[in-house]
Amino acid sequence: MKKIWMFCVAFLATVTMMMGITKVDAAQPNYIITTDATYPPFDFQDKNNQYTGIDQEILKTIAKREGFTYTLKPMSFNAATQSVTSGQADAVIAGMSITDERKQVFDFGTPYYKSGIAWAVKKGSTIKSLKDLKGKTVAIKTGTAGADYALSIQKKYGFKVTYFSDSDTLYNDVINGNSQATFGDLPVLQYTIKNGTKLKVMNPTNPYEAGWYGFAVKKGDNAQLLAAFNKGFAAIKKDGTYQKIVNKYLGAPASEFTGSKSDNSSVFGILKSNENAFMKGLWQTILLTLFGIIFASLWGVLLGIMGVSQNSVIRGVSTTIIYIFRGMPLMVLAFFIYIGLPGVIGTKIPAFTAGVITLILNEGAYTGAFVRGGFEAVDKGQMEAARSLGFTYGKSMYKVIMPQGLKIMVPSFINQFIITLKDTSILSAIGILELTQTGTLIVSRNSQGFRVWAIIAVIYLVVITLLTWFSNWVEKRTRS
Amino acid sequence: MSEAQVKVHVDKVNKSYGENHVLRDISLDIAENEVVVMIGPSGSGKSTFLRMLNQLETPDNGTIIVDGYDISDKNTDINKVRENIGMVFQNFNLFNNYTVLENIMLAPVELKKLDKVAAEKKARELLETVGLSDKADMPVSSLSGGQKQRIAIARALAMTPDIMLFDEPTSALDPEMVGDVLDVMKNLAESGMTMIIVTHEMGFAKQVADRVVFFESGKIQESGTPDQVFDAPKNERLQEFLSKVTHA
Repeated sequence: MKKIWMFCVAFLATVTMMMGITKVDAAQPNYIITTDATYPPFDFQDKNNQYTGIDQEILKTIAKREGFTYTLKPMSFNAATQSVTSGQADAVIAGMSITDERKQVFDFGTPYYKSGIAWAVKKGSTIKSLKDLKGKTVAIKTGTAGADYALSIQKKYGFKVTYFSDSDTLYNDVINGNSQATFGDLPVLQYTIKNGTKLKVMNPTNPYEAGWYGFAVKKGDNAQLLAAFNKGFAAIKKDGTYQKIVNKYLGAPASEFTGSKSDNSSVFGILKSNENAFMKGLWQTILLTLFGIIFASLWGVLLGIMGVSQNSVIRGVSTTIIYIFRGMPLMVLAFFIYIGLPGVIGTKIPAFTAGVITLILNEGAYTGAFVRGGFEAVDKGQMEAARSLGFTYGKSMYKVIMPQGLKIMVPSFINQFIITLKDTSILSAIGILELTQTGTLIVSRNSQGFRVWAIIAVIYLVVITLLTWFSNWVEKRTRS
Repeated sequence: MSEAQVKVHVDKVNKSYGENHVLRDISLDIAENEVVVMIGPSGSGKSTFLRMLNQLETPDNGTIIVDGYDISDKNTDINKVRENIGMVFQNFNLFNNYTVLENIMLAPVELKKLDKVAAEKKARELLETVGLSDKADMPVSSLSGGQKQRIAIARALAMTPDIMLFDEPTSALDPEMVGDVLDVMKNLAESGMTMIIVTHEMGFAKQVADRVVFFESGKIQESGTPDQVFDAPKNERLQEFLSKVTHA
């Protein structure tokens, strides 16, 4: 029992420490700026796995000239904007259209790019006008101006919509014919098509709801940063740097950013040109898995012990915790902790920490359930015999029931470890650059969905095989 | 029977499980060194009664005083009382996560704070008395039922109890194993141990018991010496029970 309590204290201390790291030093302003991880030509990773694009070059140039530093946090568009409104980040630059609705919660800098909504269909599609969309499915990206526009005309033209959170999956959905059209920002669609995506823009010269992109901070916050951005933007507009940046992306041949054809057309080439990215992603996945497995197991064992307590209140607490966190989808929990919680508690939670906490709560609940079951599966006579000798309930548990119960649970633990490893992929949603998110970024650049996802799948299988071998080895040792 | 000699005093104890009234107004005194055998049909309440003597079951009302402690009083430290009451179960309930020797040593080391050398010495002596010295380092799963039950008796004796409770100790055994276990119990009775035994072994009861108690429908219907109970039963239900048992 004592050991378990010590583990719990150590666990809480670790979590507190991880949270403590996020306290930002106020003297030297280093801003946290979020962006959309896959939004070329504004935001994307180039062949060297560096974030680049029109937004990123503008931001980098202005930061240099105005003398502030920033940490870039690429994630999904929605997470990027919500991170700013929840105070997790200071600003967002993500090809974000300035709308009246957004002005309610954001302060925008000087509009930096004029854009508009275009719609596109698969090359060679028979759809000629919006009227042809009746009864068809339109793919839109969650939270974008293109999505808003599509929804505003949905009734009029009678189409269905389907939502995506990253562009590449969305385009593939249209190309594969699952959906028949998409609405998005004109320059984005144009750049994508230029890079070989087999779509056709239907209104290249007259975009709907022409509007402006803006750099945004949370309303009422970070006035200093906003002023610096505006000042820097005026300067680069005046001296022509701005135009150079725009031309570089909208005038450039695709391979300049996406890498040479030979690097992208074979599995080996993709592996070689993205070796660093894969290794980094794998390492994050492994770290998440290790933290998740260790702490979720400790938490789960504690929940399991509470679940067989003699005290009905403690039992109730355990049952309730297991019920809540086992019933909640992992992604909802991750969003709640990463995006929802900071607004309430007033402290930033780094994505990695949020991810680990998510794993602990979710996997810990499953672990708690099978640990309780394992203890209950031990023959009741064992407890009676121990009690009849004069052992207390606690000591009977510790000396007799728990050792037998844990042995019963070994296969469940191994199973849970494998599930934890796979579940880390869901944490890509809050922008942790683990293996799955790495895959998303590479595909968004080179459009080699089949090859990249095959590589990622094989890496997962290899890691899971290693984990299974290791677990079986441990199991054999505990049996002897 | 003077007060000092009384090891177990039970007064007007009742127990119900929902509608089922298992024990009705049971009163019984058991003296030091006495061997009491409880017989009766299944469901008559004899096992429930036995399990109340070390509070594996709690009475709804009534008084139970064991070894001088009022265990029906909530303030009594039941764990302390249990250290002096050995119990042997129908299904042995040896600890599966320990070896034979460890099963016997566990309670003396953990509860009586006996050092391991002394505890092991005592455990080996006990193994010899139950005739299983060669099994000391075996896992319990490798033993036969009869062997397991003899180890279970040794485990209970390791705490040097004042009273031993036996809950149908031979019911789960193959016939050829029964004799060894009963022999151990006989020796224990001869050594003067206070014993309360629930069993269906009538021959054993005749041989060993100082007193035989017949349970039926949650009541003690008749009690007396083995001669009285087996040879001159007065109670009609006892007569019926005995005729069934002896003709079976």
